[in-house]
Amino acid sequence: MNTDNYIESLVIKYLSGHCTEEEKEALLSWIKESEDNRIQFEALRNIWQGLNPAFNPEEIDDQKALNSVLNKINKLHWTQHPVVVYWQRSAAILLLPLLLSLIYLLVSKEPENITQQEVFAPYGTFVEVNLPDNSKVWLNAGSSLKYPTRFTKGSRKVTLQGEAFFEVESDPENPFTVHTARVDVRATGTAFNVEAYPKDSMTSVTMVKGRIGMAINQQKRFDLFPGERASFNKNTLQCKIEKTDPYKWYAWKDGLMVFRDDPLEYVFKRVGQTFNVEIVVMDKEIANQPYRATFKQESLSEILRLLQLSAPIRYVNYNQETANELALKRRKVEVYKLKK
Amino acid sequence: MKEQNLPYEKILLEKLKKGDQTAFSSIFTHYYRDMVLFGGNFLADKKDCEDVVQSIFLKLWNDRDIIQIDTYLKSYLLTAVRNGCLNEIRRKGSDHEDLSAADVELSEITSEYDTNNYMLYSDLNQHLERALNKLSPAIKETFLLNKFEGLRYKEIAARLNVSERTIEVRIAAAIKFLRSYLKEFYLPGLFFIILSLNNVISLWKKIN
Repeated sequence: MNTDNYIESLVIKYLSGHCTEEEKEALLSWIKESEDNRIQFEALRNIWQGLNPAFNPEEIDDQKALNSVLNKINKLHWTQHPVVVYWQRSAAILLLPLLLSLIYLLVSKEPENITQQEVFAPYGTFVEVNLPDNSKVWLNAGSSLKYPTRFTKGSRKVTLQGEAFFEVESDPENPFTVHTARVDVRATGTAFNVEAYPKDSMTSVTMVKGRIGMAINQQKRFDLFPGERASFNKNTLQCKIEKTDPYKWYAWKDGLMVFRDDPLEYVFKRVGQTFNVEIVVMDKEIANQPYRATFKQESLSEILRLLQLSAPIRYVNYNQETANELALKRRKVEVYKLKK
Repeated sequence: MKEQNLPYEKILLEKLKKGDQTAFSSIFTHYYRDMVLFGGNFLADKKDCEDVVQSIFLKLWNDRDIIQIDTYLKSYLLTAVRNGCLNEIRRKGSDHEDLSAADVELSEITSEYDTNNYMLYSDLNQHLERALNKLSPAIKETFLLNKFEGLRYKEIAARLNVSERTIEVRIAAAIKFLRSYLKEFYLPGLFFIILSLNNVISLWKKIN
């Protein structure tokens, strides 16, 4: 233990640049003594490097980097179409007016170098997306968001499949629109959660801050205020607005799953959406039992285990494999009432 | 050490092979920051590191149908970063001509162990955050003030308006807990290093 501590402090001294030449030699010969020693050195160095990052991690802008790489990728595509390039060149030389109107078209409509990009959140986790206008989006498990690499003047349009929480940068002149299969949400500067899972008959919008306008099937417009939740049922074409505690609906963006007297059936639906498993409550008498729980970044197997501890239920078709190979194939777990 | 790989890595790689830019973006955002920080162990300039990492991703995309990844994606990417950075050093020429023989030899200790078992910055961060969050708020605050802001017991006692003895008790409790908690994650070295640090500001900005 004592020599261990001596070596560890020597490594730390070396890494922080305080070693004398003699100490360096001593360290070096210790490392050369055995494979184990070398590995121990590398592990310590690894931890040291992790605790002393060379750059401020917050200053590394991965979204900007991704956009620049995607731009390069998509530009490479363009050069593979020499006809377009040739046509543009001859237009430039021969027909100046045409060029000017072309420029006008490029500037006023969608310029060619604006590409749509799509971000997908893998099952079991969620991702944070920074949009080009500094708006922030948290994309829940299994959801996808399409947005341009640059917004054009007058509108900021994104397309959502699944669930996302938006924190929209205020800009009344360029309203922000979330387009989903059935519902469009228009906001200027505000925070709200949208659930638009394609398999779900309900599309719901929960307001947290500010004010938004909603349009259902491109008509039927109305406003929504903080603390309100609008749910549109595509089968009945009914839209219901109710008061709610908004945090419950977007707690997932903090890695939480919050249930407050929600029916067990809903609990399993939510868990299933996150992990891409179909969990069906087979006994109707337990389906509506209210359930209170908060799960924090727990795995599927852990959540199912905890639920089983606190509710009289048993699972059929569930095994460890189900938990591990989620994304390969959608599995089905059946829940039955536990017989006494 | 615990492996923390990108979930559904195989599926993402298959999608990438088929030219799926969404899968590419997922891989990119999962690893980019950690790769740049890893590069920082070799190159002093952040811009250089970012260039190296971006060209690796560009190559990953362009060669997606011929690329063979036999190890974890993480080790593949880290190996690429290391090689890219070393090439960059060779190209530019080292500006450290005053290095001793021991310095050079120590800096050249790298092996397969490195990239296979390397704990990424964000993984380490997560372990630590989790461990610290298990402490009670008062103990955590005291511990952070002492170990990461380098305040003396006396100064902390004055700041928090409690006795010096209380601070001693809290620090002892924190150390006892962290020692056993981090051992579970095979990170005794981490614990040791935390204790010997006095200023690791950047990592702790988030927590403070």
